[in-house]
Order: sequence, then structure tokens, then C-alpha cells
Amino acid sequence: MKSIPKLIRRFVGILTLSIILFVILNVAFFAIVFVRNTSTFSPWDMADNAAAALQLTDDGYSISDDVMVELKEQNAWAILINNDTRQVVWQTDNLPNNVPMQYTLSDIAELTRGYVDGYPTFTGKAENGLLVLGYPKDRFWKHTRASWDYNFIENLPKNTIIILVINTVLIFLIYVAANSKLLRSIRPITNGIQDLSSGSPVCIKENGMLFELAEKINKTSEILQKQAEQLRKKETARANWIAGVSHDVRTPLSMIMGYAGQLENSKNLSEVERKKAAVIVKQSNRMKDLINDLNLASKLEYDMQPLTMKQENAISIIRQVIVDFMNMNIDDKFPIEWKTADILSACYINADKDLLKRAISNLIQNSINHNENGCVIYASVDDDNNACKICIEDSGIGASDEQIDRLNNTPHYMICDTNTTEQRHGLGLLIVKQIIKGHNGEIIIDHSEYGGFKVVLTIPK
Amino acid sequence: MNEDYLLNKRILLVDDEQELLDMVLSIFIEYGFQNVKTAKSVKEAMEEAEKSRPELAILDVMLPDGSGFDLMEQLKKGGEYPILFLTACGEDNDKFKGFGLGADDYIIKPFLPKELLFRVMAILRRSYKDDNPRVYLHDSQIDFSRAEVIKNEEHIPLTAKEHDLLSALYRNAGRIVTIDALCEAAWGNNPFGYENSLMAHIRRIREKIEKNPSHPVSLVTVKGLGYKLIVEGK
Repeated sequence: MKSIPKLIRRFVGILTLSIILFVILNVAFFAIVFVRNTSTFSPWDMADNAAAALQLTDDGYSISDDVMVELKEQNAWAILINNDTRQVVWQTDNLPNNVPMQYTLSDIAELTRGYVDGYPTFTGKAENGLLVLGYPKDRFWKHTRASWDYNFIENLPKNTIIILVINTVLIFLIYVAANSKLLRSIRPITNGIQDLSSGSPVCIKENGMLFELAEKINKTSEILQKQAEQLRKKETARANWIAGVSHDVRTPLSMIMGYAGQLENSKNLSEVERKKAAVIVKQSNRMKDLINDLNLASKLEYDMQPLTMKQENAISIIRQVIVDFMNMNIDDKFPIEWKTADILSACYINADKDLLKRAISNLIQNSINHNENGCVIYASVDDDNNACKICIEDSGIGASDEQIDRLNNTPHYMICDTNTTEQRHGLGLLIVKQIIKGHNGEIIIDHSEYGGFKVVLTIPK
Repeated sequence: MNEDYLLNKRILLVDDEQELLDMVLSIFIEYGFQNVKTAKSVKEAMEEAEKSRPELAILDVMLPDGSGFDLMEQLKKGGEYPILFLTACGEDNDKFKGFGLGADDYIIKPFLPKELLFRVMAILRRSYKDDNPRVYLHDSQIDFSRAEVIKNEEHIPLTAKEHDLLSALYRNAGRIVTIDALCEAAWGNNPFGYENSLMAHIRRIREKIEKNPSHPVSLVTVKGLGYKLIVEGK
């Protein structure tokens, strides 16, 4: 089924697209959060500002009011540790009690990296001392031992890409594993549906993820098979019935034809009586043709006459049919003229020889049947690149436009399920249509340039 | 050519319907056949065959005590002679089966007396050659057994191909034989492309059998379709 690879392509496409979209969204999100939280405020800057704002006056240290206000707003405290004594020489009012007033060098190293008594601290260089800014315990988190291997940082871009690729591959693998199971259970179902549409019986294993669907398809197939079987039975019965009747009629008709044929040629009878016998022969012949036609038409209609296709020379087939007619035609009322170009001696088509012969002889017989007073029949074959065009026409009475239109377009009563009272053209033409259909060909009925009726059969090579 | 000798051939007619037997019998007798025997079942047919040693058998397919196909096989054990079927079974399968088993012809009911007689005569002619196998044409005679033409007391030999072609034409004397059928008779199953050769052979045959080959009267052309051999008295 063509749609499965298409489906997989679509799935994979959507997956890839969503992964790319997620990566872009995440990067954007982190970038926005990062920028928003870092650019506006940094405690280190604040510490530098405060250190710069600290002035040594005669009364000791003092800090500008606006920095003081800012510190208050942030709930931060500050101390200034003297460079020489390492004692706190200045402090804000809100200094917590636990904060020591005397520092060793290691204390200072410690608080620069981290905390004083749990308060995150930041330092700024002030005049003669170090300004230490302390924030509430839940305000900042500090990374006290920040150091990375140089190689790690150097390889970071490369590693990031590798990890990204591995992640993507993993996601695909997981996806394929998960989906292949689904596809495995879909495949018998799609095959089943395909078989359903072609009319063959379907039996899918009712397991896997889609067992319910399989069950339903099996049931549908069962119903379709049963219906087809019933239809087949009905059609076979009908065709057999027709075959049976036509068989049973043959023997009595043989006797009528046999005796009438003898009487027709009997020298003991008068001219008038012989003519009557001739009529019986003629009408019996019509009945014979009718039962033959009825039988063949019903078989063709119900597909009980398989076509045995072979490469055949259409010209030799048609020549044989015409010669058979000419050999039969005693009273020269229906001369047949061969109008095929002399140089064309073969036109090979894929055909069932017997049925094609039957179609051509039906057409010639039609011309004879419909022209009581005789006519010339013209037969020709034309090689038309991909097809063989066979044309049978006559110089007889022909048909009106309306009749020709009807012959071309209305179905015969045998295959029409609505109206059976009108549109009764002969079975002969129906058989021709059926046979040509079986050959994937085309039939066109038209006026002949010779004045009568014309039928063109186009059969593909 | 005189075909009266064929009318003496012994014919066995088998059909389960008495009225049909009577009818076919009357057709044969009216035509001039003198030795026609009938049977209504396989059993009767076998007995009659033992007794009268037929030279042609015409069988129905459906008989009350067996099938005509089986009967044919049994009859063939008793001697080689042509057998044809005359039956209401018009199915192609039956036909193929009949020919497959070696039937010489297969006629489907209903049929015209003319058709039946034509086919029977054709088979007899094929199977039983005349002791005097000369075929009389307008201006010459053909002796198929010696493969020669006798024109104005002169004996002209026929080549193998000419013999094949004339035989095919003679078998259908008075009827048109298509170009394709003639090519097949002379060159076998793949006759395409031999039309020009055929025309050359026909011209040479005409030189042998016709008084004026440019205006043939015995071997006439039917334009585009085929040729017809006209035999005197036929």
C-alpha cells in the first residue's frame, strides 16, 4: 500500500519539526529568564556602589542617603572591615547580632566566597577597608567552590552538540520502536482492506493493538463473500437455465430444420410448397441463431465464458469470416467487398479468435437480416498505431440518427434492470458489445458513406 | 470427379431419439447413401459395429447407457475410421473434448441437411481416396496420387508445395479458401509473410492447369480474400 511510507514520512516530519520547535522555544525561554534576572541587578555591583558611596569624614564613615535607602529597600546590611585592624569600623543599623565584629584573613576569604553566619555576602573595595554587603538568607544562593576543568570548558560546545545529537537519535529510536509495533499491527489490516476491495476473501489474525479492527474486517469479508457467493449462484443458475433450455430446444429444432430442408429441395413438391418449406427453414435458422445468441450473451454477461486471449492476426480472422459467408451465400444478394489496403497483410492483436469471429459474423449477419432486398457489405481492417480498426458497413437501408443514438447508448433488455418494453435491439449487437468489451475495445455505430449502416470496432494491440 | 463410390460407404448412426434417427436416415437415403445403419445406445452401437464394420460413425454425446465420447474410444479399438459427433451439447468444452479425443468433426444441433451432407462428404473424401483419383478441371486434369497435371495429353509434374496448395483447394472445391489457410497448408503454423510466395506459386499452378493463365477459369482469385478451385461437375 502506497499510503504507509507516506504516513511514516509524515510522522517523522512532525516529530522532527516538534523537536526543533521545542529546542528553539526552550532556548528562548531560558534566554529571557536569564536576561531578566541578571541584567537589572547584581549584588556585586551593589557592593561596589556602596563601597564607593562610603566616605571617610571627620566624624567617621558615612554613606550617601540614596544608597542607604536602596540597601534598606533590599533588606541588606553592610559593614566595613578595616584593612589593618580587620575590625568592623562601620556598620548599618540593621546589622544582625550574630555577625562577628572581628575578622581573620581566612574569615575574609570565606565570606568573599560565601556566607557570614548563613547570610550571603558580597564585597566591595572601599577606602582603607573592605565593604561587606549582607543579604537576607533566602535572597541569594552562592556557588562557593566555583571552578571547572579547563578541558571541560574548552570542549563544552562540542559536548553540547554531541549530547544533543545523541538525544535526538535516542528519541527517534524510541519513536521507531514504539511505532513499528503499531505499523506491524496496521500492515495486516491495510493488506486486508486492500484484499477486501479486490473481492478476495480476507482472514487477518485477530491480535495486536488493533485486534478489534481486524475482527471487523474479517466479519466484513465474510459478509461480502457470502453475498458474492449468493449472487454467483443466482447468476450461474440463470445462465445454466438458459443453457439448459437452449440445449433442449436443439433436438426438436433439428428435426424441423432437417425435414423442412429436405422438403425445400424436394422435386415432388410444387414451387409454392417448396417456398413454404424454405420459410420454415429460414425461421428455424433464426430460432437457432437466437438460442445460440441467448446462450452466449448470458454466459458473457455472467462471466461464464472465459476469454482465451492469444496474439492473432485480425486480418486473417476477418478474412476467414467473410469467406465463410461468401461460401454460404448462394443467391448473391449480399456480395461482400474486401476494402483493406493490399499492403496490409497482418495486424496483430490480443484476441479470443472464436469470439472475435463471432462478433464479426454477427455484424455481417445483422446487415443481411436488416436488408431484405439485398445490399453490398464492405469489410476493412486498418492498422491505427496502437489499435486495430475493423469496419463492417453496408449499402442497405441504414438507420435514422435517433436509432443510431439509441443503439450506441441504451442498454439491452438483458442487461438493463429497469425498462424491458422498449429498446429491443437484437441480441447479436449485444454480443458484439460484450465481446469487444472483453477485448478492452470500443464499438461505434454510425451511418455508412455507402448509404447504410456502419460499425467500427477498435481493438487495442 | 465422380464421387458415387463414397455413397457406398457403410455409415453407423447413433442417437437415442428415434425420430431424429429417422430424419437423418432420410437425409442420407435421399442423397443416395445405401449402407446406413442406426443404433440407439452404446450397447446397440457396439453390436452393430461388430456386425456391419462401419466406415464412418456419427454419434450423439448423450446416450442412455453412456457417453458418446466413451463410445468413440471403444469403436476406435475395433478399427480406424472417421467419427463425427452430432449433438445438442454446444459448449466449447464438449467440442474441445470431442476433437481432443480424435473426432473428425463436431456438428451442433440444429443443422441443415445441406450442412450435414457437406461435412460428411468432406470427411469421406479425405478418408477414402478414389481408385481413380483424377480431378477434372475445365482445361486439364489433376492426378494427386502421381502429383501431376494432364493438359493436352501432356503430363506436367507438380512440386510439393503446388501439390499441397492444390490439395487444400480441392478439399474445398467450389468454395473460397483464404490466403491464410493456403499459406498454412503450404508452410505450416506460422504462415505470416508468405503472401508473395503464395502468389508466385498460384501463378505457376495456373500455368500448368489453365489454358490461358492470364484469364483463369479453374483457379480464380477472390480479391484480397483467397482463391477458389472450380472442378467440373461439382
